[in-house]
Amino acid sequence: MSTALTTPVGADLARKNHTPPPGPAVGQRDWVGIGLWIALVVSCALWAAPFLLMFLTSAKTNADINQSAAWTLPETWNWANYSEAVETGDLWNTGANSLLIAVIKVPLGLFIAAAAAFAIARLRFKFHRIVLGVIAVGSMVPIQIGLGPLFSTMLSLDLLDSRMGLILPYLAFGIPYQIFVLYGFLRAIPDELEESARIDGASTFRIFWQVILPLAKPALAALFILDFVSTWNEYAMATTLLRSQENWTVPLAVQSFSTQHGTSYGPLNAFILLSAIPVLIVYLMFQRYFVSGALAGAVKG
Amino acid sequence: MTATADTQAGPITIETQPSRRKRKSSKFVQALPYLIPALALYGYFVVYPMIDAVRLSFFQWSGFRTESPVFVGLDNYVRLFTEDPVFWKALQNSVIWVVLSLLVPTLLALLLALGLNRKMRGRNLMRSIFYIPSVFASITVAAMWRWIYNPTLGLVNQVLEAVGLESWTRTWLGDPEIALYSVFAASIWQAVGFSMVLFLAGLQTVPHELIDAAKVDGANAWQVFRNVTLPALRPTTVVVVILTIINSLKVFDLVVGMTGGGPAQSTQVLALWSYTQSFTNHSFGMGGAVATVLLILSLALVIPYMAWSMKGEDK
Repeated sequence: MSTALTTPVGADLARKNHTPPPGPAVGQRDWVGIGLWIALVVSCALWAAPFLLMFLTSAKTNADINQSAAWTLPETWNWANYSEAVETGDLWNTGANSLLIAVIKVPLGLFIAAAAAFAIARLRFKFHRIVLGVIAVGSMVPIQIGLGPLFSTMLSLDLLDSRMGLILPYLAFGIPYQIFVLYGFLRAIPDELEESARIDGASTFRIFWQVILPLAKPALAALFILDFVSTWNEYAMATTLLRSQENWTVPLAVQSFSTQHGTSYGPLNAFILLSAIPVLIVYLMFQRYFVSGALAGAVKG
Repeated sequence: MTATADTQAGPITIETQPSRRKRKSSKFVQALPYLIPALALYGYFVVYPMIDAVRLSFFQWSGFRTESPVFVGLDNYVRLFTEDPVFWKALQNSVIWVVLSLLVPTLLALLLALGLNRKMRGRNLMRSIFYIPSVFASITVAAMWRWIYNPTLGLVNQVLEAVGLESWTRTWLGDPEIALYSVFAASIWQAVGFSMVLFLAGLQTVPHELIDAAKVDGANAWQVFRNVTLPALRPTTVVVVILTIINSLKVFDLVVGMTGGGPAQSTQVLALWSYTQSFTNHSFGMGGAVATVLLILSLALVIPYMAWSMKGEDK
């Protein structure tokens, strides 16, 4: 693209003699492109099928599910499944719990991780490599390893079966990966910016808050999506640490749809769709940060 | 407090650059307030429970507060290795899961990213369709796929019957021979999008000039991919491989939601077996021993790979 701007003739020549660089098919013979497109569309259809099935099932009555083929449209659109889903899954309550946890945990966790990443990447104290290594190891270990002892810890802190008792370990388990990613991002910021601010007499906190953090915005946005999604969806710790139904988060409510009489598939599928609305909203809101430079920078870490 | 430290540190660094050591230690003091919240949370809720899991593996304990742990030495490990066939099955399944995850969804994600990196009609929609499964909770994905695999009413068997392949129909989650792979298929569906997005982000860092130059020199598509794109994707590949290994070793929700480890423990994995030993069988010692094996396996897989990839970057 930039070559085309500076040397249009050369680019034209290149286009004639060689296959064009990836772009809209020019003229004839882009059979490869067309074949590729068809293959992708077919795979997409395959990937979308479970969603379609879920949506169709969510609007069918039990009788309809038992009688007609899975891919047919519902005989009558039974939207009552959705209200039943809200009721069986106790969605107002579980949703409020999940939302409260996410709204506290995600920004707070990101702030804590950003502060630590700032210290490690920018203040370059003596042991910063060791600290980073210890944190990196933590981000690589499956959380289930510590679940048993975590249960005892929360028991002795008297925080078992409470929202607070979930927020604290959630914070702790989100931090290592975020520090690791932010470290890679912050390290790439040129020193001059920070030095000039320092010469102007800015305190370390001001440099963190007003120079470094704004520059890390794309990475923070990408991490915000990832963290919101994984917090909203977390199951293993929630099922270990929460007991009473009034404290349940959304993922725990899935089990309410299966009883010894079987699974009520209509309401279950409705519930799954409803439960994903918040993460879809967050994803759409921050989408533009996602594929762009944010993760590219993050990936280099 | 930090402000005074700053105003002193500033001029010193510019004027004389005296003893590096002094500067570095004062920097450590400066860094502490930023580090403490993260390190405290991390130490107390991540590191300590993990060390405690290793410690508990040498004890016998039901997990109840009324009872105190009894030291039993290596007994739990002896039992695990000699009297617990489920452990070996779980270990085997976890290893299978890691290997398959590195092969199938990773390659698929790379292919999708390469395809969807070209400009084409509907590109953004297609990217979203592949990505969206990964924002769904695994436990809901498990419920969804149980429905898809339902022996009589599920989509898979109904489609097979409709196209005349009745003989291919299975009880996908009820047959110990194939249940693990049925669960794995659901994980492919869910996991591909995330790796694809990482590869897509990586592809944006491949320099256009290099690709154009290679093409001008007469390189074919494969040569461009092999010699330009792939080397440039190396950092991305490192991240994808590490995340894939980690996510494979902690697979839990999908198995719990789809089979609960059954039938006949055929889909048992280490993360779930550790949990089951601790909380269902009330043996925190055995659970800790399984967790320790999982810990060693994770570190043994990830650390050498990370060290190798960092070495490569220094060159």
